[in-house]
Amino acid sequence: MKFERAILHMDLDSFFVSVERLHNSALRGKPILIGGKSGRSVVSSASYEARKYGVHSAMPMRMALRLCPDAIVVSGDMERYSEQSRIITEIIREDAPLFEKASIDEFYLDLSGMDKYIGTWQWSKELRQRIIKETGLPISSALSINKLISKIGVDDAKPNGDQLIIAGTEREYIAPMSVRKIPSVGIKTQEKLHYMGVRTIQVLRDIPPALLKREFGKNGLHLWNKANAIDNTPVVPFHEQKSISTERTFREDSIDIKMLKSKLSQMVQKLAFELRSKKQLTANIAIKVRYADFNTFSKQKRIPYTANDRQLTEFAHTLFDQLYQRRQLVRLIGVRFSNLVHGNYQISIFDDTEEEINLLRAMDRLRKKYGAGVIRKG
Amino acid sequence: MRFSISSGELLKNLQIISGAIPSNPVIPVLEDFLFDIKGNTLTITASDLDTTIKSVMDVRSDESGSIAIPGKILLETLKSFPEQPLTFNVSMDTKAIEITSSYGKYRLAGESGEDFPEMPAPPEEHNISIEGSKLKEAISTTIFATTTDEMRMAMTGVYFAVDMNDITVVATDAHKLVKYEMKNIPTNVVASFIVPKKGLSLLKGAMGNDDSVSLSFDRKNAFFSFGNTEISCRLIDQKFPDYTAVIPQNNNNILTISRTDILGSLKRIAIYANKTTNQVSFNISDGSLTVSAQDLDFSNEATEQLTCQYEGEPMTISFNAKFMIEMLNALHSENVRLELSSPNKAGLLYPDQDNSEVEIMMLVMPVMTHG
Repeated sequence: MKFERAILHMDLDSFFVSVERLHNSALRGKPILIGGKSGRSVVSSASYEARKYGVHSAMPMRMALRLCPDAIVVSGDMERYSEQSRIITEIIREDAPLFEKASIDEFYLDLSGMDKYIGTWQWSKELRQRIIKETGLPISSALSINKLISKIGVDDAKPNGDQLIIAGTEREYIAPMSVRKIPSVGIKTQEKLHYMGVRTIQVLRDIPPALLKREFGKNGLHLWNKANAIDNTPVVPFHEQKSISTERTFREDSIDIKMLKSKLSQMVQKLAFELRSKKQLTANIAIKVRYADFNTFSKQKRIPYTANDRQLTEFAHTLFDQLYQRRQLVRLIGVRFSNLVHGNYQISIFDDTEEEINLLRAMDRLRKKYGAGVIRKG
Repeated sequence: MRFSISSGELLKNLQIISGAIPSNPVIPVLEDFLFDIKGNTLTITASDLDTTIKSVMDVRSDESGSIAIPGKILLETLKSFPEQPLTFNVSMDTKAIEITSSYGKYRLAGESGEDFPEMPAPPEEHNISIEGSKLKEAISTTIFATTTDEMRMAMTGVYFAVDMNDITVVATDAHKLVKYEMKNIPTNVVASFIVPKKGLSLLKGAMGNDDSVSLSFDRKNAFFSFGNTEISCRLIDQKFPDYTAVIPQNNNNILTISRTDILGSLKRIAIYANKTTNQVSFNISDGSLTVSAQDLDFSNEATEQLTCQYEGEPMTISFNAKFMIEMLNALHSENVRLELSSPNKAGLLYPDQDNSEVEIMMLVMPVMTHG
């Protein structure tokens, strides 16, 4: 049997608009334009309601407002979008064997070979549902044998859907589409192809490659490959900033909240010590709970930069309380600190006492000398 | 209603009070300036409900009345004129406003002046008189130390403690704290209240050094009036943290250094510190201070050595350079004194000068050091 790759493309639907709606529910169902309000700015994202009027991103704001005068203009908040993007990246990182972050709202996942163990398509659907559930943001995905077909396919999946292009059918799948659907075909190339009488991908793929090379140079060959659904570009793994994490599977599944929380505190203390030893601070804490039936839930929170046991334990417990909603046996809990920077903990005037800081330092000295497990708070 | 006024004079007053106009008003009329005419006196008001500012000016008018005029369009119009007399013609029925300049006519839609919220009346008691220059100085020395963390509402404002003959002004964000004591101001009252940052920065911008400011307050509001201007601020109804308890005693390690020297050094060294944490180290020994920082992620590193006076044990202590720079910038003395006890306890920064009228203390928490 020929080995086929399995590439999943995930693309957030009108990402900036969705994030704004998450923060302001009054924006739901209304035509929204993200971009500056001055005359010279352009639309950086438009909601589906606004797109109905012919608005698209990169269009001058003035023109967009002429097409859709009722649209609500929201000036974008890049920091907020990056933060959401990072949260989604973390979810994907947790589950995916190999992934690439192509832009702030696009991901490619290489799931090749996974079919041996679990249904790739089922897995993809579940990941998509998990992202929707955990972030509240609509996302579309397409699964096929390469990046190109998945990228084209995701347009069919939108809004908020998924699309499977079964291996072997991809050539026929794209054949009836306009050549414009091929990424990299812009207006110029499209016009030239139209002039040659080429409108659909079907016609394009039957043109001899040599002819295309004569007309378009080296790009002509790429064009022919794409029209024939050939794309071998690999998924390049994406290294964002590192995180540190730990998790523990219990020998016996437990429902003893007191015990679970005490284990959680221990795990936090262990990680916080690691942070302080490396002279790092974290600004993001995540807690994971896996129930006896293997259903896994996680929740994370943005926090002020810290490496202090007390603060981190408080955050961990609050997150755990929010997360542990089912009265079910717990199989595993995990803690992760991400968004790390180099630095030492900024002591607070009112929250930290001298005794507490001294205790923390004394405990760290002992741990350094005798090992991390030598001492802990009860 | 019809009135004539100088465009420059009006613009000057509107620009001072426009700071009160909120960016996202709760009620639309707050986007407007309220124009209220009684005889030949025009009172203009801007408000966000918490902070209200009024300015009084002379005007030539045929009748009394009030109208709310959209703030943004009016300011833009006035800015585009050279100084000249303007005539405002207001239809009290339709609330239409017509402005006549030497170039032409401009028409805009106003709103009823009665829709504009009323400013609370200043209380009769606790009338304290302070020189504008002193109050201005007290505000600018403390206001930067407030927090933006809405979870700690009390610390988003500036704390005023009035004690018979002194007024102590305090601000903190839980990492740094500034205490500014004004002495010999007869008040005859013991009280304390927290004024929101917005009202104070408006006040700072509006008052002149020569103004004599009259401060009065009740349990809900503080009022500042001077010249032709009046500001009312709704107080933050929260308990200010007990800052006196956290000021460390016995700070036996005392560093005295030129303010501009250490400020300049910190500004340069901070460039090489981690951009998120801004941490710099002070290595202090007899007669010399070494300031250093590194950013491990980019392999950036910088060190400077400064001469200073130092009495105490050799010490290494680290601070957020941003805090230090803000604090040093707020002081004016030639030399400053940094009093320390240990590397994990607060540092106290004082201007090294004698002033019987004013006492300033700044407190900054270090970052935790290990080992």
